[in-house]
Amino acid sequence: MSQKKISRKEFLRGSAASAAGMMVAGTFGGMMGQFTTLTALADDETVEFSAFFAMSGSEINSDNEIAAMIAEQTGAKCDETWLTGQTDSEAIGTIIAGGEYPDFINGGDSMVSLYEAGALVAWDDYLEQYPNLKEMYSDEEWDKFRQDDGKIYWANVFQNSYGEDKTTTHNDEAFWIQAKVLEWAGYPEIKTLDQYFDLIESYVAENPTMDDGTAYIPYTILCYDWYYYCLENAPQFLDGYPNDGSVIVDTDTLTIVDYNTTDTAVRYFRKLNEEHNKGMIDPEFATQTTDEYTAKLSTGRVLGMCDQWWNFAYTVNDVFTQTGLADEGCNYVPLGLTIDEGMENQWHSYGDTLNNSSGIAVTTSCKNVDAAFQFMNDLLDQDIHNLRFWGVEGVDYLVDDDGMFYRTDEMRANWSDSEYQASHICNYSYFPQWLGTSRDGINAMQPSQQSSEFFNDLAEPLVACFEAYGAGNYVDMLGSAKVETGPWYPMYSYSNAMTTATAGGVAWNKMGEVKHEWLPKVVMAEDFDSLWEQYMEAYEGTNPQDFLDEMQEELDRRIAAAEG
Amino acid sequence: MARKPKKQKSGTKITVKELKRQKFLLIWAGIFVVYGIIFYYLPLGGWIMAFQNYKPKDGFWHSQFVGLAKFQTLFSDSTFIRVIRNTLAMGVLNLVSTFVMAILFAILLNEIRSKWGKKIVQTISYLPHFLSWIIVTGILHDALSTSGIVNEVLLKLHIIENSINFFAYPAYFWPIVAFANVWKETGWNAIVYLAAITAIDPCLYEAAAIDGAGRWGKIKYITLPGIRPTIMILLLMNIGNVLNAGFEVQYLLTNGLVQKVSQTIDIYVLNWGISQMDYSLGTAAGMFKSVVSIILIVAANTIAKKTGDERLF
Repeated sequence: MSQKKISRKEFLRGSAASAAGMMVAGTFGGMMGQFTTLTALADDETVEFSAFFAMSGSEINSDNEIAAMIAEQTGAKCDETWLTGQTDSEAIGTIIAGGEYPDFINGGDSMVSLYEAGALVAWDDYLEQYPNLKEMYSDEEWDKFRQDDGKIYWANVFQNSYGEDKTTTHNDEAFWIQAKVLEWAGYPEIKTLDQYFDLIESYVAENPTMDDGTAYIPYTILCYDWYYYCLENAPQFLDGYPNDGSVIVDTDTLTIVDYNTTDTAVRYFRKLNEEHNKGMIDPEFATQTTDEYTAKLSTGRVLGMCDQWWNFAYTVNDVFTQTGLADEGCNYVPLGLTIDEGMENQWHSYGDTLNNSSGIAVTTSCKNVDAAFQFMNDLLDQDIHNLRFWGVEGVDYLVDDDGMFYRTDEMRANWSDSEYQASHICNYSYFPQWLGTSRDGINAMQPSQQSSEFFNDLAEPLVACFEAYGAGNYVDMLGSAKVETGPWYPMYSYSNAMTTATAGGVAWNKMGEVKHEWLPKVVMAEDFDSLWEQYMEAYEGTNPQDFLDEMQEELDRRIAAAEG
Repeated sequence: MARKPKKQKSGTKITVKELKRQKFLLIWAGIFVVYGIIFYYLPLGGWIMAFQNYKPKDGFWHSQFVGLAKFQTLFSDSTFIRVIRNTLAMGVLNLVSTFVMAILFAILLNEIRSKWGKKIVQTISYLPHFLSWIIVTGILHDALSTSGIVNEVLLKLHIIENSINFFAYPAYFWPIVAFANVWKETGWNAIVYLAAITAIDPCLYEAAAIDGAGRWGKIKYITLPGIRPTIMILLLMNIGNVLNAGFEVQYLLTNGLVQKVSQTIDIYVLNWGISQMDYSLGTAAGMFKSVVSIILIVAANTIAKKTGDERLF
């Protein structure tokens, strides 16, 4: 389980650092039979669905106001359950063993297992009847979701833009640094890994502690469970490649390259090792949990790290705003680093990324399949979509004379308040949705992409930083090359769905295990070279070639299908 | 807990009259037999999975039968061998440490004269038993972190120069788990021994005192022999439990650096049986664990029988 979820947007607001990641894992027995798949009509004729999402999220109150409004207009509501404590594959494995499913399910990387267990309803007979759903993807895109029986069983709901792209935030991975460090150094151009660590070192040399005397943690690395992408996959980006996640695709030769063993990988880990031995890296990095990591970031002590925006930003930025650290310039800005100077980077992929390995599905336990598709279709209706993401007009947002949506400070504060989120807001965040431009042609589908909203929400030091670099938003800070990704992109949608049924899948699993153990060791090594050698020996023992061969096969297949 | 299973010499013959006389007892017994069959024996039918290449879609009836292939995979997997080692090591370590500590603690507590003080100590000491592992591991994680209380104390006492990241070293993992078990369970386990000690006839202590026995003497010659049957029974029961070395503690405390020593059979079953959806392999591993546990407990019981001590059956 490694690059999993890297493209996934997690709407963790409020609950993100919740104890979820730590909660007792031994409860999997209790999962069985918890879904009541009640498609039965309630008193007021509202159809009630159940849904399970194999990712952490926050549950909303049963009397949530917007959920009630949506129910009024669509005649249906859905009771959402989220992952607690377990990994997605544990939860899905347990549900399959139990044989009872909720009406809707998103099994994360275990979608294929659900399909193989015969738990999902094929969309093919329904898609034509529900135009809003059908509209989500082009025919070619829908084809990418087809399983080996030629049918569609789920649709990914993220990274899908209606009309013009309005992206302002770099939602993905980058090396991040606190804005105040850049300000202190006079906003220098930071292009390489070496420059990045030089900057951090010189900042810490002059400012060893925060104002309250707490020592800075110059750089930390999260490597807990599947979150260890923060440690392991940077070499692909440093080499200037996009986030294929589990491998590099060499665009000249159209072959798979293993980024674990490239020269860049060696240089990257050697650099981390050097920095570790200089005391620049959090001594606890290898043993911290995700919660501890998020808590650490929230104190403003950590100057830099490599991570995906969605993993830290929602929680950490809210805390920074509330504690005033945002005004001190603690917010993180992304840097588009490469291993050598003069290379182009692709940390940011422009346009939509279609991850066909997971999405929303209707299960065979659903008693009213038509109503289920109708519900998903209704959720994409513009008015309902606005209710989900903008809220109630006049309460959560206002409309100016030109028809532009805007929010007051109070409305914005409400929207980030966890109590308000539970009682009032209902995103149905893992149901079909749009990014990009609203059907009215002027607003953004979601407020985070409305540029006026984006700037109003930004702390002063961030605005200064963006101005200094001539950047309009986070994406501009990275300066990623505007390269069209190949038809195979992203390859992780294949490796995520691998199971131990194939030799490649077994190798993939074992590679993950070896890397989990050895990468932290290598970073903490006293003698880098000898440990790297031992690591490589253990790594080769997992037969990575089996994995690479299967990836190559899939790459060839995808290219052929695109030319097809 | 029966301290001494009575050897019953039942002379009653089974006659119709006798059956009628005891019909209510028989009905009650019948209910429990049915309950036992449904909830304990029928589920064992699922063990058939271990001999199949089980696919949820095909169910028990249509999954491919593969004989012992899954067991072969299991025992040729070096990870599984390592997992057995970890489970046994942690199981034995936990058993010995919690066992010894509970007895020691019970005896020490018994020596406290003030009734009031005894009650307070006892109550406080068994409270951790009611904490869930998630909380205990949270406390451990905090206490043993580089800025946690343990490092703080060691630094202040100048025993170490730099903070130790305890969870980064495989060598510390087993002792940490054993310590966590001792901390959590000592007070609770001691309750049984305390009860056993209370049941010892005070006359014996008086007699020993008259014979000139001091505190040590009384502990050695009266208390310990007095609770010996309890000790033996509990030991036997716990030996059957050795392979249940834990799941939550290891699952919650592990990280990449120590994963080689932290994985137990239960975690292996979870990883392969549930996460990787190889239900057959998971079942095989679980079956292996059950069989070994049964062998262990029978062996221990036999040894106890041979040495003439208390036994379970």
